[in-house]
Amino acid sequence: MEKKNNLFKKHMLPLVLFVIALILPLVVPEFWVHVFNEILILGLFAAAFNLIFGYMGQLSFGQAAYYGIGAYTTGLLMVKLQWPLFLCLPFSMITAGIGALILGYFCVKLRGIYFAILTMAFGQLVFFIIFQWYSFTGGDNGLQGINPPLWLFKANAYYYFSLTVVTIGMVLLYFITESPFGYTLKAIRDNTERTEFIGINVQRYMLINFVISGMFCGLAGALWGPFNRSVAPDLCSWQHSGHPVFMAVMGGPYHFLGPMIGSVIFTFLNAFVTGFTEYWPLVSGVVMILVVLLMPGGLLGIIKSKGYFSPGNVGDVKNER
Amino acid sequence: MNDDVILKTDHLSKSFFKYQVLTDVNYQLKRGQIAAIIGPNGAGKSTFFNLVTGYHAVSGGNVYFRGQEITNWARHKIAKIGLTRAFQVSNIYPKLTTYENVRQSILAQQKRTLNFFTPAERLAKDETLGLLETTGLSGFKNTEAGILSQGDKKKLELALALASKPDLLLLDEPTAGMSSEETHETMELVRRLNKDIGLSILFTEHDISVIFGYAQKLSVLHQGVLVAEGTPEEVRQNKEAQACYLGEEI
Repeated sequence: MEKKNNLFKKHMLPLVLFVIALILPLVVPEFWVHVFNEILILGLFAAAFNLIFGYMGQLSFGQAAYYGIGAYTTGLLMVKLQWPLFLCLPFSMITAGIGALILGYFCVKLRGIYFAILTMAFGQLVFFIIFQWYSFTGGDNGLQGINPPLWLFKANAYYYFSLTVVTIGMVLLYFITESPFGYTLKAIRDNTERTEFIGINVQRYMLINFVISGMFCGLAGALWGPFNRSVAPDLCSWQHSGHPVFMAVMGGPYHFLGPMIGSVIFTFLNAFVTGFTEYWPLVSGVVMILVVLLMPGGLLGIIKSKGYFSPGNVGDVKNER
Repeated sequence: MNDDVILKTDHLSKSFFKYQVLTDVNYQLKRGQIAAIIGPNGAGKSTFFNLVTGYHAVSGGNVYFRGQEITNWARHKIAKIGLTRAFQVSNIYPKLTTYENVRQSILAQQKRTLNFFTPAERLAKDETLGLLETTGLSGFKNTEAGILSQGDKKKLELALALASKPDLLLLDEPTAGMSSEETHETMELVRRLNKDIGLSILFTEHDISVIFGYAQKLSVLHQGVLVAEGTPEEVRQNKEAQACYLGEEI
């Protein structure tokens, strides 16, 4: 009975969030449905990024490259070859994964600030390739006319489609983080040296994780094109790579749902603030400073330390076993 | 090479820039032995361990494990073939629980760390609990490892090394920071493992009672050179060994 209770406690937050996500579009105006859709897509992006940041302990500042590769894969396949959307999604994961495999191969040889700089440099590389390659990607014009199938054309319909895909993605990510592989990532984060001495090829695991993260970033990107009806090169830019960093830090990188919560805060604030001032970056900057100074573990870190509930945790605060 | 020799070094040397830390060390350890390397601080004991386990790159000479050359192999490869170590300063996963620490090492040994979809919680339960029991850590299984006492951290350090099911275990000052009772318990455990599963053990230590109480073979390092070797009794009589410990009774 107690075990059941714990299980319920552990999964209460995601369940509550899911139910809210199911009901909200039925009661709010269409503008906010778009905002919620954005929250979901960017939340998946941030959760994928957090595999590298919160779980493996390295800061990637170039995940937008894989998000962008996913977005462009779906965009190009739908516009140029008229592929159906549901086929484009897994294909985008594959192309983003291949991109992450090639670029990640070099990144995982480095740690700390050098890792961050190299991921960022490769991110910019992908950005400039897409930006310059007019004949294939449309260059700085981007790609237009990425229309979802008719039955997903309405805001609510596409929202529920995103909700389904993002939920599946999050569940898969959750399983990965709780698996022996996930714990190996935490081991690498906590003590890379010791992990080598228990017989684990750290570089190889970092690369595998880089690819997995890239694939899920690609999935998030793939959802973006048909949602926005277009893609543009700045989806790959380093500013866009900063968004999941902000979200993870705001929500709490040491909790599975932290990045998603961060996406709620960040995206909601963005939509709200830009409604009456163009100085959104000023506001987001101030919020960021407050978060870093006042709640270094992010929002979930604060709530958790007060013992209110037990969101899926990454390993800094312990449940009773 | 003789099958009985589990570890052999051949003219093993190490220099950091112009400082020669280890010079031409020819060392042999027989399978199933408990041996100790002793010497004053800075003699090169830890460096010797670091070279053998791949922690530092070797400057000269070779390392052989069970007859196979392993000079400058990657750390994880050396660990995988059955040569593991425990560190002098405990080197654990401070943010995982004691239980999760041990389970991580066991899952690595069982080659299950590439499993993506089974919750780790369900795996290797008995093995983990068993090893916690053996090393006397059962009472702390849900404690975050970072807040364990020094002595318990050292026990956990030992547990992490044992989880890899090694053939040869290198222990760098295994009882540093332990109470005399814990020291005794730990060394008894080492002796039991040696007896029961034939684990070969090489350790460094400052505690004279531990050295002479448990080692079957002693080697004395002084300024990076192996100056004396033999049974504890032989080394006790050795003039050069005595000179290294200038005035100290050994």
